[in-house]
Amino acid sequence: MGMRRIWQALTHRLASSLGARVVALFLGLLAVVQLASFSAISVGLNQHARGKLPEQLQVGERVLQSLLDQRAQTLIEAGRLLAADYGFREAVLSKDRETIASVLENHGARIGASEVGWLGTDFELRATAGGEQIAGDIAPVATRLAARAASGGSASGIALFRGRPHQVVLVPMKAPVLVGWVLMGFPLDGDLGRDMGQLSAIDLTLLTREHADAPWASTLATLPPGLARQLAAQNWTAQDPATTGMRAITLAGEEFGVHAKWLTPLNAGKGSADTGAAVLALTTLSIDAATRTPRDLQLGLLAITLAGFAAFALGSLYTARRVTTPLRQLAQAAERLGSGDFDTPMQGLARSDELGHLAQSFENMRINVADKQQQILRLAYWDALTGLPNRAQIHDAVATAITQARERRGSVAFVMLDLDRFKHVNDVLGYHFGDLLLQGVADRLKQEMVRGADMVARLSGDEFAVLLPDGDAALAMSVAQRIARAFEQPLTLAEHKVDMGAGIGMACWPLHAGDATTLMSRAEVAMYAAKQRGTGPLIYDAAFDGASAETLSLLSDLRRAVDQGELRLYLQPKVALENARVVGAEALVRWQHPQRGLVPPMQFIPFAEQTGFIRVLTMWVFETAAKMWLDLHADGLGLRLSINLSTRDLLDQDLPEKFDALLVKHRVPAEAFCLEITESAIMDDPQRALGTLDRLSAMGFRLSIDDFGTGYSSLAYLKRLPVDELKIDKSFVMSMETDLDDAKIVRSTIDLAHNLGLSVVAEGVENAKAWELLRELRCDHAQGYHMGKPMPGSEFRKWSTGWVERRRSVGNSEAVTLH
Amino acid sequence: MQASLRLLLIGLASACAALSALAGPVVIQVTDAAGKPLADAVALLEPAAGKAMVQPMPDAEISQAKRAFNPRVTLITVGTKVNFPNFDTVRHHVYSFSQAKTFELKLYAGVPTAPIAFDKPGIAVLGCNIHDRMAAWVVVADTPWSARSGADGLARIDAVPPGAYKLTVWHPGLPADSVPTPMTLAVATGELRYAAKLAVSAEP
Repeated sequence: MGMRRIWQALTHRLASSLGARVVALFLGLLAVVQLASFSAISVGLNQHARGKLPEQLQVGERVLQSLLDQRAQTLIEAGRLLAADYGFREAVLSKDRETIASVLENHGARIGASEVGWLGTDFELRATAGGEQIAGDIAPVATRLAARAASGGSASGIALFRGRPHQVVLVPMKAPVLVGWVLMGFPLDGDLGRDMGQLSAIDLTLLTREHADAPWASTLATLPPGLARQLAAQNWTAQDPATTGMRAITLAGEEFGVHAKWLTPLNAGKGSADTGAAVLALTTLSIDAATRTPRDLQLGLLAITLAGFAAFALGSLYTARRVTTPLRQLAQAAERLGSGDFDTPMQGLARSDELGHLAQSFENMRINVADKQQQILRLAYWDALTGLPNRAQIHDAVATAITQARERRGSVAFVMLDLDRFKHVNDVLGYHFGDLLLQGVADRLKQEMVRGADMVARLSGDEFAVLLPDGDAALAMSVAQRIARAFEQPLTLAEHKVDMGAGIGMACWPLHAGDATTLMSRAEVAMYAAKQRGTGPLIYDAAFDGASAETLSLLSDLRRAVDQGELRLYLQPKVALENARVVGAEALVRWQHPQRGLVPPMQFIPFAEQTGFIRVLTMWVFETAAKMWLDLHADGLGLRLSINLSTRDLLDQDLPEKFDALLVKHRVPAEAFCLEITESAIMDDPQRALGTLDRLSAMGFRLSIDDFGTGYSSLAYLKRLPVDELKIDKSFVMSMETDLDDAKIVRSTIDLAHNLGLSVVAEGVENAKAWELLRELRCDHAQGYHMGKPMPGSEFRKWSTGWVERRRSVGNSEAVTLH
Repeated sequence: MQASLRLLLIGLASACAALSALAGPVVIQVTDAAGKPLADAVALLEPAAGKAMVQPMPDAEISQAKRAFNPRVTLITVGTKVNFPNFDTVRHHVYSFSQAKTFELKLYAGVPTAPIAFDKPGIAVLGCNIHDRMAAWVVVADTPWSARSGADGLARIDAVPPGAYKLTVWHPGLPADSVPTPMTLAVATGELRYAAKLAVSAEP
């Protein structure tokens, strides 16, 4: 297991290293080449060996022939010596038959002759060693050899005696002139095979048959007897291909090349007397052994391969190292760059190859990245527009200040401000002007901050901050008030005078926060509180945080509210001032929270607008209102329900289709609804808003401008909108009785709206006096607590009935037609 | 026995002498197969009927010098003794397996103590057991009329009484055990010339 893991680690390391892969690739290629050459050599040797075999076998045949010739010569010489032996001659010429036979046998045995005969000069057999049988064997042989002997002095040949091949020689006997012939037969025995074996690696097998139909018998074989028997069992003829070339024969699973030499024995007879007796000398070589690649060659190739492997391994290792060492250096350099070290110059720049180019590229990159990093650092810590430190820098500065203050047991104050109405300035006067404004604010802040350690920063958009590293709450407040005062002076920018205003919040360390991030967010909370309340600068109070904490879980709560039916739709009646008839109602959403009870709209509507959830809310309101309208309609109340649309709703291009789908679903006419849009909602993207409004108007919806008078929109612009109604903001209506100016605004607004053909709705009608005043001003409709608060649909029906009753009982002198 | 033999021989010699005046020479021209004169051929004339008396000749000599017999062919009559002096420094072992005279003189140097008597007619082939190349022939004639051819191939037999004879011509080149066929010859007075062509080669 442990070994296996080590092996795995090793192979993984090898596989993951470029050098190792290069080495492996080279060695693999070498192995393929070596294998191929080995195969080629093997095949070549095989073919060569095969091609050589017939030749070798013929050489073998020649060796055999030469052995036979030599043997014949030796036997002739031996025979001559015997024939010249004085005693032999004396005995042979003694004329005594028995003595002659005896001497033939005795002296023949001396030289190993198995047959000996004595012939006269006329080649007539005179005497033989042995009996009549041998005489019968010898006589025809002597006849055949006689002619050759007469001319050459002696002769030899092959004869078959008792089924075994013999070499027969005929030598003259002289005393001292030719007195007769001695014929001697010598069996072809194992000596021949042994001699053959000593001279060549070729095996010899002698097969004989006594007549044409007799089976072949192996009479001499250097092959194992079993193989020789198998050879004898083959079919052999004088025309066998083996006699001229080679015949491949498989013996006991091994393939042999066989060459045959057909030897016709002297006593086979001639012509018609031919008995078919034959001697077949077979020379054989194992083809398998011959074609086997020689062992020394194998070893040589192996040695070459190993040497090649070693050389290749070293060479490729060296090459790989030449490549991988600079690569490793580059990798290290890249790591250095990654860790932010841009100061160490690259190595290996002197190389002129690709790696040198790569190193040069790295070097260029290092220089460029170093430059860029400088730039990024500048961008990261400085605001490009105002030249002030940015949020990141002041955050670091706050952290540093806290650390230092902790050491000297001091405190840190952080002031944060957000410009009022900056968005509108941007929208109305353009972004360029907005930028100029921001620069102007930055200049003014810098002027106010005289203390050297203080830091002014632009956090984002229209948010600025001041860090007072050694400041406390009192100092922060004085600085904040100084800023507020400074903002009272309008800014003159490109011939425009702009009134400045800002919400200012402060927080102190360690009083309000334990760290830089918290300190900054506490100051921000205080700032939002100041803005919300419209007060001057505020120091952070834990109470501010409650509201903000609430919003955190709001979104998920809101989703749940929609899904689980926690939302309620309330209706606030709209009444015609002229005759006090209920003409409609504004649909308002309320949230019946299971734990918190009824959540006021201000706590979740702005949040929903920020997050875009408002679109879900709007659709919910629209659909619920549609159902409610159907109910009211069934009850005989022909009202028009007003629904508020937010900026996001207006920017939603699909809004008209979604409304249309709901109208169709609930079979409600578009005329049943009045869609209320705030001025600011239109001003965010007037083009798109106008497109949406046109389509909604075309569908038959009545459109109304909500909270009119709080924004910057002019009546001239409103004229281009497809609106039917203006809603005067309740701030004007409520102060109308006390503030003459506001009353004038209301009056002129009503007049202008009427001139433009719009009806006017007054919000915030809280008493009969206002009702009367508005009636005098010919305002069309009124909405307010004086008539009724927002209420659930069921209560609205009861209220509606009660209102009619009340109006009737009041008996208003004016001709009020109520139904 | 010896006295009676001697008497016989004397009688025979006187008869020859009586006849020699009348007899003409018989000259036989011996040639080889190619017609060349053949030396060392031996011609024997025997009466067609009966038998002529022969006497041993004085002792003959076949010496051995330079590892050769000299002469190669010796013509003697039955009963003649032959000496075999050895003039070489090496020893010789002279033998004959021939039926005419089988003998051997085992390794000797100088002159053997006793000559060999050739007492049967026929041809004895002599060899040396030490030197196979050495060969000599001794023709033992059972007739008084015989001759050996010279270099000219002529064998001249003088003083042959007229009458019918069997002529046998022999030469060492003929096979050892061959028996030459005799020719019948009528000898008259005056010279008789006869040509004998033998199936041998004169070339050595």
